[in-house]
Amino acid sequence: MPLLLGSYSPDLMTKWFVYGISIGGWHLKATDPEQFQRGWPGMGFTHSLLYGVLWAFIFWRVLGSKTWAVSFLIGQWAHAITDTGDTVGTMLFFPWTIHIHFGAWAYAGQTGRLTDAAAYFSGPGAVWDLVWIVLGIFSWRVLTRSYFEQNVFTADAFWSKANRVVPMTALLVAYRAAFFYGTCRWIAWSLWAHVVHHYPYDISWGGPHWVHAVHSPPLTWPQLVGVGAIIATGVAVFFASRLEFSRKRWAAIRSRT
Amino acid sequence: MPSKRQLAVAAGYAVAGAVYIAIGVWFTDFLLSFFVALAYLLLAVWLIPTGVRRLF
Repeated sequence: MPLLLGSYSPDLMTKWFVYGISIGGWHLKATDPEQFQRGWPGMGFTHSLLYGVLWAFIFWRVLGSKTWAVSFLIGQWAHAITDTGDTVGTMLFFPWTIHIHFGAWAYAGQTGRLTDAAAYFSGPGAVWDLVWIVLGIFSWRVLTRSYFEQNVFTADAFWSKANRVVPMTALLVAYRAAFFYGTCRWIAWSLWAHVVHHYPYDISWGGPHWVHAVHSPPLTWPQLVGVGAIIATGVAVFFASRLEFSRKRWAAIRSRT
Repeated sequence: MPSKRQLAVAAGYAVAGAVYIAIGVWFTDFLLSFFVALAYLLLAVWLIPTGVRRLF
């Protein structure tokens, strides 16, 4: 559950205002959707690594759950890193406001919900989603009842609390819903875009090129060096903490023997 | 390999998925929210089958 929440969290905060919604005759929509969703000033910080860390800290310290903290962090980071694949990218290292972007598929959020969907499901983004669907099918065991009962239900107290009012079968359906939704929406949008409306496929890098895509400027050499330094520091801290952890474990084993 | 029972369950989800896709293609608002999909799935593969089983 926290993994799913984490993976949806950046867009939960932003997508409604990017595409616009109507409430009681009022139409609310961002005047600059790309700036609002990915930029600063704006809500672009929801697509940063720091945003995930802050929420993970809240889950850990307020709810007292390391499982929720780590799972939410993985989900949110997966979303933030995946969105670096488009032509706008994300402010991954916020408060540093440069956009990390690989430009593999077109960012077309500003064109509206339908054109954005048609573009996404016509370009490399659709291929990227398909990779995960195929991986999910090959990992079908994680969707079985026994896997859910033995590994998921026992790992997260949310499920046992929910089980007080909702039967196990319904919880299992809810657990499977994310994969069901991801797979079905991929098929449905692909049919809508290519069978009903005949939008052309263009899975070349940066495609589809028939849509007006927003692009972030390429990173300068000093910015690239800065990004490299941040990643190198992160990797060094990770390995140093592992080394320290194994040293402490060895010391504990030695003292016991 | 999945068992016969697991394949039967998967077939149930596949039928529910086909209906969801058919609705979604003609009424795209149906595809926009995970929570709509969750509600639909609970209805299609849990509530309706449970109700039918109780009736017959």
